[in-house]
Amino acid sequence: MKNTYLQLVQMISGILAGLLLAVHIGVQRLDVILGFLGIYVSNTLSFNSMIERAKQISWVTLYIMLLFFAMLHASNGLYKISVEMNLSRTSLRLSIIFIILVGLIFFILGAYTPITLFMK
Amino acid sequence: MQMKRFRENNLGIFGWLWAGNYRLERYLYTLHRITGLGLILFGIFHLTVTTVFRIQGKNVWDSAMSFLDNPIFKIGEFLVLIAFSFHALNGLRLIIHEIGFALGKPVPPIYPYTDAIRRNRALTLILMVIAMLMIVAFITNSVLGGWK
Repeated sequence: MKNTYLQLVQMISGILAGLLLAVHIGVQRLDVILGFLGIYVSNTLSFNSMIERAKQISWVTLYIMLLFFAMLHASNGLYKISVEMNLSRTSLRLSIIFIILVGLIFFILGAYTPITLFMK
Repeated sequence: MQMKRFRENNLGIFGWLWAGNYRLERYLYTLHRITGLGLILFGIFHLTVTTVFRIQGKNVWDSAMSFLDNPIFKIGEFLVLIAFSFHALNGLRLIIHEIGFALGKPVPPIYPYTDAIRRNRALTLILMVIAMLMIVAFITNSVLGGWK
């Protein structure tokens, strides 16, 4: 039953992470094509543009939600691969602990920066 | 009495590549795994760059960006966009199939056996074409002078 719930989490987190990532990648990497559609973004990689986005609650929320769903999806995916690898029980437990720890560290690291910049 | 633990998957990771009679969907599964792992590796790199360098201010950020502005990293970014396009669309296909849509009609299990996904490949082909169009959009954007 646990794996059934995890599969549901994997599907939902995948859809949400995919949608949020599409917004992120679209703004960062489809500037000319978005311009044809009347959405103007430019120089998104510059420090000033980044700080400007970091001051807007909508972007901060989007980044943190994207990070959360992407981490959930990635950790769950790695767990599924570990299960399929037919590891011994101890190795599987260790790999699960490792996956959760790395996921948490990167979530905290990733969430800390936009929150700090937003608060400044 | 202790139960014997059978090792059914003896091929391990090599079973992703070939274990006999693989078809399109099986290779899509393998590519889904490979692109997923690639995206995780990129995500770790991307998070490190955008957090550790960004928090240190404009000068550190600008020097990091000028270091990353070279053909090797540009090709790497294209590969990430290709991986994202494929992984997202193939993931959508898996979800649609898993909730029971776009499957082939049931048939009696008579040899040579076929499965419901192989009997209806329209969704697979449509979504792979959309993934290709996304990749073309990224390339077009770059050719038109975007993505500086």
